[in-house]
This record gives sequence, C-alpha cells and structure tokens, in this order.
Amino acid sequence: MGGLLTFISTIRWQDIVDVLINSYILLRVYILFQGTNAFRVLVGVTSLWLAQELAASLGLILTSWAIRGITAAAAIIIIVVFRNEIRSVLQVRNIKTFLWGFPAREQRTPVDIITDSVFQMAQKRIGALLVFPGNQALGEVVHGGIPWNGQVSNEMLLSIFWPKGPVHDGAAIVRGEQIVEVGALLPLTHRQDLPSEYGTRHRAAAGLAEAADALVVVVSEERGKVSVAKGRDLTPVADGQELSQAIKRHLNMPEISPVHQRKRERLKFASAGFVSFLIISGIWLGFTRGQDTIIALNVPIEYVHRPASYDILDTSVDEARLQLFGSSALIRSIGPEQVAVRIDLSKATEGRNAFAITQDDVILPPGISLNRIKPSTLEVTLDIPTTRQIPVQVDWTSRLPKDMDLTDVSLSPTSVSVTGGSTTLAKVDTIYTCPVRLDSLPKSGRTTAEIVLSPPSLKLSPSSTGLVTIHYRLVKSRTPQHQ
Amino acid sequence: MKLFAYLLSAFLFFTGACHALQTPTDQRSQPPQAAPAGQLLLKKAVMCQRVENLTPISPGAVFSVSSGQVCCYTSFDPVPRHTVVYHRWYHRDELSTQTRLRLYPKKWSTYSVIQLRETDKGPWRVEVVDQNGHVFDVLRFSITD
Repeated sequence: MGGLLTFISTIRWQDIVDVLINSYILLRVYILFQGTNAFRVLVGVTSLWLAQELAASLGLILTSWAIRGITAAAAIIIIVVFRNEIRSVLQVRNIKTFLWGFPAREQRTPVDIITDSVFQMAQKRIGALLVFPGNQALGEVVHGGIPWNGQVSNEMLLSIFWPKGPVHDGAAIVRGEQIVEVGALLPLTHRQDLPSEYGTRHRAAAGLAEAADALVVVVSEERGKVSVAKGRDLTPVADGQELSQAIKRHLNMPEISPVHQRKRERLKFASAGFVSFLIISGIWLGFTRGQDTIIALNVPIEYVHRPASYDILDTSVDEARLQLFGSSALIRSIGPEQVAVRIDLSKATEGRNAFAITQDDVILPPGISLNRIKPSTLEVTLDIPTTRQIPVQVDWTSRLPKDMDLTDVSLSPTSVSVTGGSTTLAKVDTIYTCPVRLDSLPKSGRTTAEIVLSPPSLKLSPSSTGLVTIHYRLVKSRTPQHQ
Repeated sequence: MKLFAYLLSAFLFFTGACHALQTPTDQRSQPPQAAPAGQLLLKKAVMCQRVENLTPISPGAVFSVSSGQVCCYTSFDPVPRHTVVYHRWYHRDELSTQTRLRLYPKKWSTYSVIQLRETDKGPWRVEVVDQNGHVFDVLRFSITD
C-alpha cells in the first residue's frame, strides 16, 4: 500500500496528460481504421512486435531476429498494399470526423435490405418469391435452382425478379448474407382453403412452407401485397417492420432497437478507449519507470542572458559531464540537441563570477533524471567591451641578405583601432603583422602584411583595415655579420 | 677638450646579461619631441648592434641572433639635474628586462645591451621612461635568424 502511494506521488501532471493524449490517439486510430483490412494487418504486426519483445526477453536470439525482420517487412507491406485504404480513411473524412467524430457506420443488415427490396417490388407490382431455409435441407423439395452465390443487395433482388428476366418466375433462396440460388421451383400446395385471389406464386410459397421449416416471402404481382408463409400459415404483411420481425424470428436473430444499437456502439468505443488507456499506460510504465540504465554525456555549456554591456572574457570550463539515468529505451533515444546545460549570466558582474551548476541549469528530455554533474562549479569572467588605438609592429622573420642591414622601417598605418574586452586590451600594447620574410626582400621599397589579432577575441574596428604597408630601406652593412 | 666618463653597469635579467654605459656627449641630433626649457629631453634614441666611442654602430630594425647582442642607445640634452631613466625591454609584450641608467647634467648619452639567445627571436620593443613613468620614446625591432 505504501509502495503504491509512493508510486502515485511520483506521477506528474505531465505524465497524466501524456498518457491521455496517446490513449486518445490510439483510440482514434481504432475508430478510423476499424473494419478495414489494414487495421487487421496492423493488429497482426503489433502482435508480431510483442512476440519479438517476448522472444528477446527470453533470450531467443534467432527467433527475435527473425520476427524483427518480418515485423519490419510487414510494416512496409501495410503501407504499400493498403495505401489506397489508408488514403481513403485519411482523406475522405472531414477534420471533425478525423479528430473527434464517431463515424456513423452503415448498419443495414441483409434483412433490412431484403425488407426494403420486397416492398419496393410490391410497390412496382413485381412478383417475387424469397426462401429463407430453416434447419431442414431443401434438396428434396426444391428443384431447378441456378447457383447464384451473390451478396444480398437491393439492385440484385430487383434484377432477379424483373419481369423480363429469365429467372424471375422461380424463387430465390437466401442463406445468411447471400442469395445462393435463383429460379428455384417450389412444390405447390394442395390446400383448398386458400383465398381465391392467391395464385401459383402463393401456392408455391405455401407448398414449401408446408414441406419444410423454411420461411417464404411472396410478393403478389397482381395486387402488390406481401405475404409470409411459415408452416401452414400464409399471412399478409402490412409493412417492412412486420416483415423484418418475421424474418428475424425465423432466423433467430435478436431484435435490436436503434437506441440499443447506439448504446452498444458507445459501450464498444468506451471499451476500446479503456483498452487504449491500458496499452498506453503499460507502454508509459515501461518507458519511464524502468530506471535501469545510466549513461554519461559530455554536454557543451551554454552561457545565456549575458548582460549586454559585458563580453565573456574567459570561462573555466566549456563542457560538463552529465551522468543520466532512466529506462534503456529513453536513454537510447536521447539526441544531443535534447540535453543542454545553460548558465544564466543575468546576475553576473564585471570580473570573475563563480556559479554552481545545479539541476535547474540542466535541460533533459522527459523521463530522464540527472545523477551527477562534473564539474559542480565553474567560473566566468566578464569584461566591458572597449576600443583602443594600438601601435602596429612588423614581425620580421628568416635572415637578411648577407652584409645588408634593414633600416628606416616605417608603417602605414602606424596604429590600428582594436575592439575587445577592456581587461584583454589592457594587456595588449602591440599588434603584430603576420611574419614577413627578410630573405624575400630584394631591395629597398615597400611591402604589405596582414595584421594578426591575438587573442582571437579582439576585433579590428570598422575604420581599420587588416593590411599594413611597410616602407623599408636595405643598406650595405658597415660591419660584417656574424654567421 | 672632450671629457668622457664611463660608467658600466651590468645587470643580469631574464634574457641574460644587460649592460649600461653612461657618458656625456656632444653628439647633436634632432630631438624626437619638443620640451619646455629646463626639462629633460631625449635627443636621440636608436637600436644598434654595438656602441663604440659613444657612437651607435650598425643601427637598424632587424638584428640577427648570431650577432650576440643588441644595444639601445639614448642621448639626452639637456639634463637639468642628476636623474635616472629606464630602458624597458619587451619581447612580444612581455617585460623581459629593465635597465636603470643614471643621467648627469648638462647632457648625457647612455645605452643598455642584452645578450641574445635562440629563444629571443621575434619582435621586441624598448621603452625609454623616466622615474615617473613618462615614456620618452618606444623603439621597435626584431631578432631573427
């Protein structure tokens, strides 16, 4: 009990939102794709993935490897094979349906289709005979049927019983959702007590109902009336609901009202939502609660919110070593851009500032915890940027030509304007050129050299160029040089 | 009649031996800067390979390390009263050595010298300053191969 309370106390509000959002996404995927082939295959792929994880946890190396390959291939196959189905789900529906709507699915059963079709035919005075077999086989009493095996549809029924159709005089036998035979000949009844307006079609319906436990629906061509024959009863049917009830009673189908149907739908979606929640919670627990992996990362330190009047002159460290722990899945997924150490310099002053690196300075992805930081403190030296005019000096190198002296060196400009931290600039009294080789000077004249700024934090002011012109004079040496 | 007085001081600092020679001189040259009457004035300052008979020999801006030494020659006129100046030798902005040189009225020439080593190659400057830190002149040169 105490452990449970401790566990609950560690759950953040972000975790709850995280689980709820992803549960809803999973539920939406189910709602949008339910009933499609892609969804069934997706369930299969998920099962494969679970099997792979199980195999890996049991140490079944080859099995785990094989299932992983199959899963990867299956995921690609889903996208390729079911691309049209996926596209239709994602494109056709509007944004409301996509995000939060519950698609109103067509709930018409074959019985509803048959009922509608029967009364349409009655209205158009098209005669029809529909046989719904019971438990008894009809082979002994029904003859001449032509195999059809077509899905029940309104158009199909109208075309079968169309007066000019070749099979319209026979009966259509319906099993489940299919019309299995058409043009079937039914036995005629020998009863004498039938009303005189009943013709051959009614007699055939009564004859089969007497001979077997089938239910026969008959549509009168002359009067446009619908009747149902069952056993020795041949009963007129007034409307579609009555016919539907009769068929469903015969087929032992439960009566479901639209209200009840909606309730069932809601219950189904609620169950799907609960299952989604359980799945996501399980994944979340696996991802975030398994504190089983520790890694160490070297992370560059970012110095932020530096006062505008200061420049960073020096820092004691440029990167920190972080020891992080969390679940292996999260640790493996850490990218360099997700981890940062940011030192806030907003309260720093001129000169040397010491900071302790705390947990607040470390930015980590959710679910990852900080174990240790090295170093725990650092120093940042800030300086005020300033500009100074500093003399330029040539950095001569190599050897002068033999018996020659270099005299009267003058520069243009003699000094350059340099910008940098005041402390840094205070230590710089001379700006040097890049090395100029003496052995390349043929005679008196002039040459140019680039200025080299050291330390690199110094910058030339826009008014100063990076080139210096050197005027020099080479004269014959009055004393021989020591070699 | 010329009167010469020599004073040799040897100082050993970071780069090696450093010598200073002080002498009155009649050598005339254009002063590097104008100064009010009665104030110490630097008439001439030059880097040279050596000083002989109070004359800088082989003045220049570049000296080979193989020459063994380099001198900073300075001449003051007038010298109102007995005072001291300093030759501060900097190698790449790092103070390498400093020589204290005495000056006597009415005019005085003096120089400091450093012995050269392989590690002394690179750009140098010598600041000529008084005891109050006033910089008379800055001489720039290089030590090369």
